[in-house]
Amino acid sequence: MPEMRPILLVEDNPRDLELTLTALEKCQIANDIVVARDGAEALDFLYLSGSHAARDPGDPAVVLLDLKLPKVDGLEVLEKVKRDENLRHVPIVMLTSSREEQDLVKSYELGVNAFVVKPVEFNQFFKAIQDLGVFWALLNEPPPKLRLVGGN
Amino acid sequence: MVFITLRWSVYTIPNIARFRRIGVGRGDSMSGSRSDLDACAREPIHVPGAIQPHGSLLVLDPADLAVLWVSANFEEITGRTPVELLRSVEAALRAWRATGTHSYRARLQNPDLDMAAHVHQGRIVVEFERSTPVFHNALLFRLTGFAQQMTATEELADALSATTHLIAELTGFDRALVYRFDPEWNGHVVAEAGNGMLPSYLDLRFPAADIPAQARNLYSLNRIRLIPDANYTPVSLTAIGEEQDAGSIDMTFTQLRSVSPIHLEYMRNMGTLSSMSISVMVDGKLWGLLSCHSRNAHHVTSDIREACDFVVQSLAMRISSDSRAETAALGIELARVHTRLLAEMAKTDKWDEGLARAPAALLELTRADGVAILSQDSFLPVGQAPEERQVRRVVGRLSQQGAATDFYCTDSIALELPEDDVFTDATCGVLALRISEVQDSWLVWFRQEVVKTVTWGGDPHKVVRESGRIHPRKSFEAWREMVRGRSAPWHPAEVAAARDLRASIVEIVLKKAEQMARLAADLQKSNRELEAFSYSISHDLRAPFRHIVGFSQLLTEREKNLGERSRHYLQMISDSALAAGELVDDLLTFSHLGRAALSADKVDMNKLVDEVRRGLAEEAASRSIVWQVDDLPPATGDATLLRQVWYNLIDNAVKYTRLREEAHIEISADRTDDGVLYRIADNGVGFDMAYRSKLFGVFQRLQRSEDFEGTGIGLALIKRIVERHGGSVDAMGTIDEGACFTFSLPALPEE
Repeated sequence: MPEMRPILLVEDNPRDLELTLTALEKCQIANDIVVARDGAEALDFLYLSGSHAARDPGDPAVVLLDLKLPKVDGLEVLEKVKRDENLRHVPIVMLTSSREEQDLVKSYELGVNAFVVKPVEFNQFFKAIQDLGVFWALLNEPPPKLRLVGGN
Repeated sequence: MVFITLRWSVYTIPNIARFRRIGVGRGDSMSGSRSDLDACAREPIHVPGAIQPHGSLLVLDPADLAVLWVSANFEEITGRTPVELLRSVEAALRAWRATGTHSYRARLQNPDLDMAAHVHQGRIVVEFERSTPVFHNALLFRLTGFAQQMTATEELADALSATTHLIAELTGFDRALVYRFDPEWNGHVVAEAGNGMLPSYLDLRFPAADIPAQARNLYSLNRIRLIPDANYTPVSLTAIGEEQDAGSIDMTFTQLRSVSPIHLEYMRNMGTLSSMSISVMVDGKLWGLLSCHSRNAHHVTSDIREACDFVVQSLAMRISSDSRAETAALGIELARVHTRLLAEMAKTDKWDEGLARAPAALLELTRADGVAILSQDSFLPVGQAPEERQVRRVVGRLSQQGAATDFYCTDSIALELPEDDVFTDATCGVLALRISEVQDSWLVWFRQEVVKTVTWGGDPHKVVRESGRIHPRKSFEAWREMVRGRSAPWHPAEVAAARDLRASIVEIVLKKAEQMARLAADLQKSNRELEAFSYSISHDLRAPFRHIVGFSQLLTEREKNLGERSRHYLQMISDSALAAGELVDDLLTFSHLGRAALSADKVDMNKLVDEVRRGLAEEAASRSIVWQVDDLPPATGDATLLRQVWYNLIDNAVKYTRLREEAHIEISADRTDDGVLYRIADNGVGFDMAYRSKLFGVFQRLQRSEDFEGTGIGLALIKRIVERHGGSVDAMGTIDEGACFTFSLPALPEE
């Protein structure tokens, strides 16, 4: 049984947030869900800075990242995380309303782990979120803890 | 007396084949005598150091009117010593000097003398000639009448003839003629009046070498020359001051200047002992000469010479106005033709095709027999144009001559390019304009040969040599030759019209290029806007639909006690939003199709159809559908897009057979000459063939939306995909019986 690490949900749209939380709730995932409302806050959580400076250490099981975000947008968060030696193993699932192919291409170039276009139909949406939650939070085996080189 | 004998010679191209550039005078065709002729042409005739004996001359210092030179015959002509005569005219000369004008004339009495003075090269030259009384009233009456005649006479030939008659009458010479220069300075006698003492030279031609360039130059500067007696003995000048070399006195503007011994010999050979010529200056250029001759010595006083000059300059004005009127009329006519050509060019996208659509006007513009419009990859001949190979050869030669050669004009292409034997046909005149250097496009007009017979006053090819020195020819017998290898010359107005046309074409081409660039920029901008638009549709419009669907669904699940009607309303809200969301997705896919790059792989159509059918299995599960799927040949294209085609077609077939108890769907294919025709037929609701053409349009629905769902984009999408693959779509249908959709795809390349 893997340890229960939180799911980081980065979503600015309150309706999408509510729908996503409802969907996650319905599939009875026990993991904590941490919500960040923009890219900057998400980075604060990942880097234990700002309002998240005092949080329990440890990386999230998965980051569900909306593509269009205020301040720092989803692609920028993705790029920063995937370029960071210490964070690149954190799975990131890009969630988007857009069906623009260029976003998909760009995301994969930056090393996204999955890309999901939110379905309009609620049952499909529900199922998509559920699948994501179950897969990444429960089934996915995270990489072994990285030992800090030169650490104590 | 038989003076003129006719001999014939055929003037063929090889005889005179020498390379010559336009704008340079024709090299004379006499061979083996160039250095002699050059020597003749270099003779310094303006500083002979002597005068003719029918007058006398003084050269004065302008500062103090001191005598520097005096002619040896001074006292003989004037009856006075220089000092005596100067004393009586000194006041008049000083008054003239004060005005600053170039020349001065006066009539002196006791002795009766005509005095003419001018300043040149820091000296005053004063000439004296004995004068005789003139009946001024009668002369004035005659001149006024002539001036009126010049404006009233319709034909230039009549004006020329009238001039020679008047001059002959005024001067008493045996013969007066008008001698006109051609562009190469050969002379042509175009009018004549005479008393029969001398042979007629009318219509004879004289080679340019007869009047060398420096003589022509003097003719332009000093219009009147008189030689009363070709057998005269030149009168030398005596130096009074320190200057000793009489050859330093420039006699360009004197009337008494002693002439070249060669010219005197020429006169004697011609059988004329006296001559006078007056230059016909038209618009500042030497147009011709009014030439008078007598068999014997003959003198004309300076008054009469002045009167003759007036007559000749009146004629010159008449010639000038005729030529301006002719050029203007031709210009107007050509401008009309130009406008017609512009109109034709405006009708097409390509200027060259536009021009070719008005062949008559294009020829008329330069009065050519043929024209060729050519660029690197096209050749449009009009009229009697030479073969493409010939035209390209000439244009290639011009291109080699450098970028400056974007205009070329000749009336004898074979003479211009003698080493090119491409022009063996009748083409002689070429007028070529480069339209664009980048595309190497040219507009080239052609004129056919005009064979003409020219009668020369003596054989122009014969040079008389005696004792190692060139002599003027002795024979003035008419000598005829046939001139070959030349077209009619290009008129300056025609050349100007051709240049104007080029300017218009360049402007049109440039304007079009600018328009295209602007359109391309606009298009890029609108494409960017469209992309931004489709992005925002995709993102911003999709989200609210999803929210509506999601929350309606949550509400339905949460409120178990909702009434039937409330539930129905919620379902309607959900369905509507869902449909709108699908519409957004379809629109985006459709708009992407325009710009997305297609992959071109071998596609297994059987596999695609299987996948699509499995995807629709859920929908079809509750129904009774009889499938008949043949083995389908593979296609080349984008598998994802072709799957979309099959998906939409099969989905439609399943959808529109919904009302059948037993649906029949057949999928088959035929190989055709060009490729493969895929077919899907059903026994569904069908459609009215009247609407067949609308079927594949965007948002065209033939069924009521409450009967069959769909956004109306599916078939438009199919059409777009198939057409982007180089194929086509079609459909047949019968209402309530079924429909058959087909799409063709090009053949696979042979493996």
